Amino acid sequence: MTELESRRTDQRSTTSRRRFIAATGALGGTAALAACGGGGGDAGEGSDLVGVGNNGQAGRGRSGDSAEHLFIAGFQWSPPTNFNTFAGAPAWPAAANVAQYVYETLLRFHIVSGELKPGLAASHEVNGSESITLTLQDGITWHDGSPFTTDDVLYTFELGKIDPSLGIAAFWLEVDEMTAEGNTISIAINQERKNIGMVLTNLAQQFIVPKAVFEKAAAETGNKLATWETQELMGTGPFTLETADQTQVILARHDDYWGKDFYGGLPAMSKIVHPIFKSNEDGNIKFQNGELDVMQQFVPQISKMWESNKPVGTYLQDEPYFVPGSMPLLMMNTTKPGLDDPAVRKALAHAVDYASIAETAMSGYSSQVLASLIVPDGAEDQWLDRDKAEADGWTYDAAKAEELLQAAGYAKGSDGFYAKDGVKLGPWKLITPQGWTDWNAALEIVAKNLQAIGVDASTNFPQQAQAQTAIQNGDFDMCCWYVAGTNPATPWQRFSDVMSNEDMVPAGQTAYRNLTRWENAEVNDLLAAAAAASDDASKKAAMTALDDLYRTAVPVFPLMYRPDEFFEFNASNWSNWPTEDNDYAPPMFRGAGNEWIFKIKQIGA
Amino acid sequence: MTQELAAVAEPKQASLLTRLNPLRGMNLSSRFWIALVIVAIVMLLGLAGFVYPTGSGEKVGSLYDAPGNGLLLGTDNFGHDVVAVLMAGTRTSLTIGLVAGIVATLIGVAIGLIAGFVGGWVEELLMGFTNVVLAIPSIIVLILISISLPQSTIWSLAIVIGITSWPWTARAVRAQASSVATREHIDVARLSGARLPEILVKDVLPYILSYTVMAFVLQVSGAILAEAALSMLGLGPSGTDSLGTQLHWALAFQAVASGAWWAFLPPTIVLTLVSFGFLLLQASLDEVFNPRLRRGKKKQMKKAAARRAAEARALAEAAASAVDGSSRTRAGESA
Repeated sequence: MTELESRRTDQRSTTSRRRFIAATGALGGTAALAACGGGGGDAGEGSDLVGVGNNGQAGRGRSGDSAEHLFIAGFQWSPPTNFNTFAGAPAWPAAANVAQYVYETLLRFHIVSGELKPGLAASHEVNGSESITLTLQDGITWHDGSPFTTDDVLYTFELGKIDPSLGIAAFWLEVDEMTAEGNTISIAINQERKNIGMVLTNLAQQFIVPKAVFEKAAAETGNKLATWETQELMGTGPFTLETADQTQVILARHDDYWGKDFYGGLPAMSKIVHPIFKSNEDGNIKFQNGELDVMQQFVPQISKMWESNKPVGTYLQDEPYFVPGSMPLLMMNTTKPGLDDPAVRKALAHAVDYASIAETAMSGYSSQVLASLIVPDGAEDQWLDRDKAEADGWTYDAAKAEELLQAAGYAKGSDGFYAKDGVKLGPWKLITPQGWTDWNAALEIVAKNLQAIGVDASTNFPQQAQAQTAIQNGDFDMCCWYVAGTNPATPWQRFSDVMSNEDMVPAGQTAYRNLTRWENAEVNDLLAAAAAASDDASKKAAMTALDDLYRTAVPVFPLMYRPDEFFEFNASNWSNWPTEDNDYAPPMFRGAGNEWIFKIKQIGA
Repeated sequence: MTQELAAVAEPKQASLLTRLNPLRGMNLSSRFWIALVIVAIVMLLGLAGFVYPTGSGEKVGSLYDAPGNGLLLGTDNFGHDVVAVLMAGTRTSLTIGLVAGIVATLIGVAIGLIAGFVGGWVEELLMGFTNVVLAIPSIIVLILISISLPQSTIWSLAIVIGITSWPWTARAVRAQASSVATREHIDVARLSGARLPEILVKDVLPYILSYTVMAFVLQVSGAILAEAALSMLGLGPSGTDSLGTQLHWALAFQAVASGAWWAFLPPTIVLTLVSFGFLLLQASLDEVFNPRLRRGKKKQMKKAAARRAAEARALAEAAASAVDGSSRTRAGESA
């Protein structure tokens, strides 16, 4: 930047006003590019290093203190005010399930293999659909040196009963009882629901907090734990909170970490620094320069970074670069005339140009969309019957879409839109929150595609709160919205989110699942059977049955896949990042994504 | 005036012709022609969309393809041809500007005329209302109305912009109208039994028409910028390309950071040209209608002064010779 500024002053000192205007105009356009040319990554060949940029390059390492620090971004956007993990919007890294740096979880989910790896619990055993037994690791201590015990675990989950407004209260819907004996914990599953997946998800996502601290907090706040404010953070993890201010959050390595032996040493970096940026762009430029090592911000066209010789890399070397972990869905309100007809919904699914959405709206970060509610990659792939999804599903085919509409008895009116018995297909509004740019762009494409086949659709992007209320209250025609991303309970949880007929509420009341208000008599039984399936074969059969039902009803259809977390690294200072060829850890920050902090290597050290 | 002069100065045909040349008479400056060329270029750009082979909704490439391969300005974030989108966007922006300008001018002139001419409590009431509206920042009203509209089309947007931007026109027209109201010909019209609407349209409006035209030009340029501002915030017409929505998507897809200048510079340049062109047009028209504002280099002023002096001399000579030469002719003329 200093170089840039000096150049700008030079131009200002020249006498010609016109030349100054021309020069600053050009600078405005190229400022971003010029800034990138400046600092950081003198990219060189990194042939002897693994886990480097997608172009095979690595930097030469930073000098000074920052050489031992890891710079991370994409989790905290405002000054950190509260480190209470149960608050409405806690700061990083106290926010639930973001990273196991200070707090840790009992089990760690691996988004690529779908395994549940040991965390604070050394092992877990699922006994049919009745109970789960966990055995804790030995020698775990809190940062203050006090021993970590089963009491802390029990108390953490107990908080859901102490303050039923906390998210963890949902755990007790699925669990009858949680008891400890010595170093083992037994969890008795609710036998009416038998939903092991949801219980395991809670075990893999809930940070275990110190009972001593939170007992005091509960007493202080009269059991309203969400209202408790704290600037301190004490966990069991490999880092402690060092400083947090308006500009950054700094974590310092905890040298007495209990997991030294379990993870094969202490983390490679002495500090983790999370600078707080105002916008994505600030972070993206710093990342490109090598001033950030790893982040999970959305970068349009990240391939341009390694094409311009920056040592930037992703887990997958080729498109879609990121492991898919969630699917934004186009939801159709099945109570609206026209959209209540499954033939129409299926025709609409045929009308959408998915490749265009993946290529432009998603910068190529989405693989080919499949007619299924199961993410066709990573942890969920094992439950997918790909042949059936391809045979009974849909792909972009505008002619086929019109054929389906005509076969269902719809005819094009003089206005160019299809109608049947006075029910016109449209005008429908496609909504999603303003500023969710990739979804905004995707819906623009969908609206154009629908117009092209003779369905009247246009986009409308309200503010987030307004959009969310409209969608949950059933006050919409079509919307782009999300359901559960890949976790130990998916794809079951996704089927439940989309189709469950349990606790259906009429339009106007807030719904938390089945937002399209699709009614069906058999889906609840299928969901119950799938939740309770005890072995892999029967689980897959149950998932396929649900997927079959989904494909005949089509209340929603996936528009694209997104990664659960964007995982992008710049090998300017650190190498041995996890990639497809170097897959010792998954491309994630949460769950099993803590493994790479022990294994990345400082370049030039 | 001219007729009188013409009658008197019959013999000097050449100087007469230059006087009658309407363009010469309006004393159009080079500014006017520059402004006209700029506005014409922008309008042509908008119209060129009708003959340009690629549609603005046609996907011809990928996300931000650089210029080249037959694409003069590359592609935008949807993979559409930026040139095609720019043409469609210019057309939309001009349409919105014209419609909004007409709406704003109509409302402003109507309120201003009535308030200025009628006076009294009607004036107090209308101007009180206008001042209240003027005091509220129009961009806030615009945003609020745009958010609450169920569907945003270019027509609804144009009308919304129009009904939020009339107050200053109303105030200015009122000032002009109240000055016209005191002139004698109004009394003549009143005495001859003309009704209020007739007087307003036939006897007041013509005197402030030149001012109204200039206000309209300003309203058009203001409306185009207002549309761009709204669309950039994402409140633009849905499913339509405009210069503002083009900028909106360029911002949303971080065109600046990724160096895709072709996505955000062209609409910025066209917007600048449009508002600059209209402002220049207004300024040069102002000079035409208001002689006090006429400017020019000293040389031209001297030339004009010399010309006027020569014409005056010629007139005087002609008059003198007419008087001296033949009293019959003169008598015949005056009869």
